[in-house]
Amino acid sequence: MLFRALKGPLSGRLTFPLVCLGVWLLTIELVASIWPFAVDVLPTPWQVAGFMWDEITGNTLAPHNVYQTFWISLQRLGAGMLIAMVVGGVVGLAMGLSKSVNAFFNDWVVAILAMPNLAWALFCSLAFGFGDTGPIIAVVLTGVPYVIINVREGVRNAPSDLYDMARAFGVPRERAIRHVLIPSLMPFLFAAGRYAFALGWKGLVVAEVFGGQDGAGWTIKFWYDAHRAYGVIGYALLFVIFALFFEKFLFDKLSRRIFRWRPEASVAEEAFDQPPAVTTEPQRTPQHG
Amino acid sequence: MADIKIVNLHKEFGAGADKVVALDDVNLELGGHVFVSVVGASGCGKSTLLNILSGIETPTNGQVTITQEGGPARAGYVFQSARLLPWRTVMDNLLFVQEDRSEPTRQRCQRYLDMVQLGDKGKKFPGELSGGMQQRVGIARAFSTEPDVLFMDEPFSHLDAITARSLRAELHHMWQETGKTVVFVTHDVSEAVELSNRILVFAKGGRLAEDIPMDLPFPRESADPDVALAKAEVFRTFERIGALTVR
Ligand SMILES: Nc1ncnc2c1ncn2[C@@H]1O[C@H](COP(=O)(O)OP(=O)(O)OP(=O)(O)O)[C@@H](O)[C@H]1O
Ligand SMILES: [Mg+2]
Repeated sequence: MLFRALKGPLSGRLTFPLVCLGVWLLTIELVASIWPFAVDVLPTPWQVAGFMWDEITGNTLAPHNVYQTFWISLQRLGAGMLIAMVVGGVVGLAMGLSKSVNAFFNDWVVAILAMPNLAWALFCSLAFGFGDTGPIIAVVLTGVPYVIINVREGVRNAPSDLYDMARAFGVPRERAIRHVLIPSLMPFLFAAGRYAFALGWKGLVVAEVFGGQDGAGWTIKFWYDAHRAYGVIGYALLFVIFALFFEKFLFDKLSRRIFRWRPEASVAEEAFDQPPAVTTEPQRTPQHG
Repeated sequence: MADIKIVNLHKEFGAGADKVVALDDVNLELGGHVFVSVVGASGCGKSTLLNILSGIETPTNGQVTITQEGGPARAGYVFQSARLLPWRTVMDNLLFVQEDRSEPTRQRCQRYLDMVQLGDKGKKFPGELSGGMQQRVGIARAFSTEPDVLFMDEPFSHLDAITARSLRAELHHMWQETGKTVVFVTHDVSEAVELSNRILVFAKGGRLAEDIPMDLPFPRESADPDVALAKAEVFRTFERIGALTVR
């Protein structure tokens, strides 16, 4: 009975946090028995949970409460993503359309992609000092290569048979762009947006640690400086919850809305639990003839 | 009524060892109230001919002109595959190729959806329809612009016999009523003989091998001995030039 229940997908999911909790408690016991003073650095799950509850109810020692903090970070993320989408869209479009533009940018894109977040964060805080600019640029630089690569792929996969159809019927150019080009790019733009969000979010936090005066990253650093390990872990967990919330509620809803036309199965494929693949193929009925 | 003039039309794809001649020096005049069927083996350039006529492909050599009294000729095209916008509903796919989105236009689109028996599927997305239904939406789309010239590339080959039969009747009716020019690609000799007043037989290598007039009166029942005779005649021509592929 119990065994069977353990095999279900829900219990499978529940087992994981329980095992984590067990390992956590065991580790504390183990380390504390070897080196008693470590108890200060190793917070118990109850400490962390208590901290998180205090934060959620707005009872904090940090200068801003958790909502203000995430709002500040979210605005930076939004601004950075917008810039990344626009710049990446333009560059990706040009790279998809022209071989020479592609050759010009290709190595740069790969280089930016290979650069660790930390390098951007350090560079941005040195270059722009403390404030919004550094974190925003860090988001742009983390997200932009994904947008470029996805948009380029989208343009390369352009449904030429549908353009031909539009041409044969004498459909005006603007209408073809609106109803053929843009919808065909949507799956690629959407995938790009998702990666830019997930990775940009991480880039942002690192940048805020070094170059921010507020925001989620800065607040994690605040707890670090205050030697509150439970604060660091608790804040990181809040951060994860926040990102998951966005992923589930914003992107899933949006995806369902934008890709209403797709057969059911492929909507689920959009879920962000795979390693960052570069593209998501748009679903079209195969065309020939 | 549109006039189509094709002069020294030559089309090749690729270069060097990969060169394929799709159409080889085709000369043709299609004037007046014509329903022309284009038949021939797979790969002999039938779709290419339609693509050039509709402006999708450009010829390697030669010219194609389509003239229409009082303004440019408007074309409709039923492709070999449906070619619908997967992200637009069936109705929006029809509206996509219209000049406007006015109420009369919508009603006209609805009428042609009814004609292909998909009147209740306007709000569906193409992915929710079967292949044959999608093909019928493609047919409704081409009809719904009420074009001067209608290009059709094996439009009925994916459909069941009964639906195909009723759509053939619709097509014939429309052609007789409106005086359109129809260029109709098919593999089906019976279909060609029953619908057209001219049959063009293409041979391998994109050569126009035979231009057969079909002057029998309509309607042409397959039981009619004259129609059966005409079919046999076309089959013999096919065999003579080796255009027939066994399907
Ligand atoms: N875009 C293209 N690029 C390269 N070759 C092409 C292209 N389009 C057609 N061809 C070639 O041109 C020839 C004629 O092709 P086409 O599609 O016109 O044949 P078809 O008569 O319509 O055949 P089917 O009855 O199978 O549809 C073929 O050999 C084909 O491989
Ligand atoms: Mg063909």
